[in-house]
Amino acid sequence: MSSLAVLLIAIPLIAAFVSILSKKVAPYLLLIASLINVILLFYFVPDGIVVIGGYDLPYGINLFVDTFSRTGLGVVNVLFLVIVLLNIVEFKKYSSVLLVALAGLNGLLLTGDLFNLFVFLEISGIAAYLITTSNHKPLATFRYLIIGAVGSSLYLFGLIIFYGMFGTLNLMDMVSFIQANNVDPSALVLPAMLMFIGLGVEAKLLPFNSWVKGVLKDSNTLSGPMIAAVYAATISFVFGRIINNLLTLAFVGNLLIVVLVLLAVGIFIAEAMAFASTKVREILLYSSIAQASIVILLFVNGIVLWAVYLIIANALSKTVMFLVINKATKDHGDDESDSLQGVFSKNILVGITFSVATLSVMGLPLFMGFVVKLNYLTELAVGAQWALLAVILISSIIEGIYFVRMLIKLWYPEKNEVTVKFDLGFKVVFVAIALILLALGTYTAPLNTLDNSIDTIAEVIDNG
Amino acid sequence: MKNLIAFVLSVALGVLMVLSLTNNDWFAQFGYVDLADRVSQSYIDKDVTGNPGEIIFGITSNPENGAANIVTSIVVDYRSFDTLGEVTVLFISALGVALLLNSQDKNKRLALNFKPNFMLRVGSRALFAIILMTGVYVILHGHLTPGGGFPGGTMIASSILLLYLADDQFRTKVKGFKLLEGVAGSFYVIIGLLGLLLATYFLQNFLPTGTVGDLLSAGVIPIVYILIGLKVGSEIAGIIDNFLTEEEVSL
Amino acid sequence: MIQYAAIILIVFGLYGLLSNRNIIKMIISLNIIEIGLNIFIISVGFVYDGIAPILTSTNSSSALLYVDPLPQALVLTAIVIGVGTTALGLALAKKIYSKYGTFELDEMGDNE
Repeated sequence: MSSLAVLLIAIPLIAAFVSILSKKVAPYLLLIASLINVILLFYFVPDGIVVIGGYDLPYGINLFVDTFSRTGLGVVNVLFLVIVLLNIVEFKKYSSVLLVALAGLNGLLLTGDLFNLFVFLEISGIAAYLITTSNHKPLATFRYLIIGAVGSSLYLFGLIIFYGMFGTLNLMDMVSFIQANNVDPSALVLPAMLMFIGLGVEAKLLPFNSWVKGVLKDSNTLSGPMIAAVYAATISFVFGRIINNLLTLAFVGNLLIVVLVLLAVGIFIAEAMAFASTKVREILLYSSIAQASIVILLFVNGIVLWAVYLIIANALSKTVMFLVINKATKDHGDDESDSLQGVFSKNILVGITFSVATLSVMGLPLFMGFVVKLNYLTELAVGAQWALLAVILISSIIEGIYFVRMLIKLWYPEKNEVTVKFDLGFKVVFVAIALILLALGTYTAPLNTLDNSIDTIAEVIDNG
Repeated sequence: MKNLIAFVLSVALGVLMVLSLTNNDWFAQFGYVDLADRVSQSYIDKDVTGNPGEIIFGITSNPENGAANIVTSIVVDYRSFDTLGEVTVLFISALGVALLLNSQDKNKRLALNFKPNFMLRVGSRALFAIILMTGVYVILHGHLTPGGGFPGGTMIASSILLLYLADDQFRTKVKGFKLLEGVAGSFYVIIGLLGLLLATYFLQNFLPTGTVGDLLSAGVIPIVYILIGLKVGSEIAGIIDNFLTEEEVSL
Repeated sequence: MIQYAAIILIVFGLYGLLSNRNIIKMIISLNIIEIGLNIFIISVGFVYDGIAPILTSTNSSSALLYVDPLPQALVLTAIVIGVGTTALGLALAKKIYSKYGTFELDEMGDNE
């Protein structure tokens, strides 16, 4: 049955509704639902357009399953399951919230309707606010809520202007209408910019990202990887989908230059702030802001495939990094890189995996990040985007300096004793992810089987 | 100084929006919209899956969607998936409020700063019944007249708010609300899955839609709206209870 | 024009959010933005001389001019989502108040 993709949303949702009836059952429901989702995704869900309610698009809402959304779903669902497995004992209270978050994230990745996307943006957003309440910093969560709400309002504003112009809410229908009628790009500037800013807030692009610092700097082993890896990956995929199909139609001429400059400045500021920081988690969060901007920059330039791989590589690395640092901070009480000095000298295995993740983000050879970086830089060079190439290269150098400085501190033993105990589960996850990064960094054949056309909405439109 | 920057920034944004909208040839001028250019015309004519001819109140039977209120037909049938999401948003905010304020059945009421007299208590009970009945009416007639599960559910919750405000002893059972909320939500998803099993698609209307304008028409729409009404009512009542109670400080 | 009024409300809300340092006032500003947005959504569907999109014994589907029903359905969703966000914001405000004893951001000490 082709409608099976709906179950990826319906199962976590029904589990969430049932889970509030009994606090004891809730964690099991969470585990079962996220496991079923992974199984469904890899074995049962076929590609294609899933119609909901029996009304064909553009009248009804549809889900869209293709290689692009499938890749996103794979990364998000697997990482979600892993993070849940590691944290379920400590954060039982958040089971229902996490179930709703899972439904929201899957809905975001699957939906082909722009208003439905707004609804799922709000579902996953509110779930994210609640996940960050586990940091016990209500003020930071409040800021996140206000900025997130403004962001999604701007997105909705842009969407309504699009509706007023073209009379449809469906992404595919709208794109084909714009192409068929040769709509002048200048007419699209306002709604496209509103959407770009709205989604940019959620995707933590500078200068719309003041929520990130408060939320991630005091994160724990649940909220850290959840927000920095799972949510970041989802929003990047969704943003990519919108940019690839809809926003590129508006991003031409001067507007394209404005957007690219905005992104380039964002990358520089983020890297500079990471460079200036001494707290490990601040370094990580600023680096992930920079990486998010690079991903969006690639999408804007049409380098879809390597942007997708960059999202995956970052999500994997960030999961390891935030788990390690948040666990260490929890046991130690402080994340100044001076006081965590030498934390890896006693935890050699964890130290190696953390270093692998960091080196992969930096883009050093042998690791997945290198392959990805090499390829997207090549594509930028082929497209003669020399300025962007320079921006990314310079930012890589800054990144290299502060990451190496951080790694040396974390490895180099000092007088003060830092003891952090990692459970077996954590270690297994770290090693597995490090091996994946290493494997894809040395054996690159699987990465090259796809090309930039993995987002197939354009093809579907061409075929009617 | 900071306020001035904020002022200039927001005004500039507003001016930009207005200018851009007025210079936009594609954006229909206010009040001069041709519905035929939009998907909406098909919702009014109910001809998404096939042409049923003119829809006449009280005569046309078994169109693809039997609701006389076209907004309802969109909310609960054509774009029902959005509504499922909307219910989820309210569900998770209610859950979040309970989580943040640490709600429990044993929490104590916040005291009122006046002593409610006899008339107030009795009067509020009488009003409670009237508001509750109005809410139920609005929910049941959601597919025929303006209204439906969301406004009706809010009315039910507001009747409970009235009791909270008029009587300082009043307290509802939060557990009961939770049960109602969870069951109503699950049934919504189950109705969606039944559509998948009995018909072909998730959330498809699998019941006959009847004659447009009858109380018992429009297939699953009234059922879904009753579920939504119960869910919204219990969720908002739950939020009210959470805000009006607090943990007893044990000394 | 109604649409300008909606945009003015949005601008007011944005200014309120940027300039206020009080948590409750920030939530109210957010609500003003949402109300402005909702009015804008409804205005997109308005048709001169159009009637409410409800079939009755005197109005059949093709006899009369209706206003666009879709924005009205969308605004219903947007209102409910706004309610959810506001409720959560107020709960957070209550939590913040119990932690810091104030609603003013400037009086909270640890400014993060």
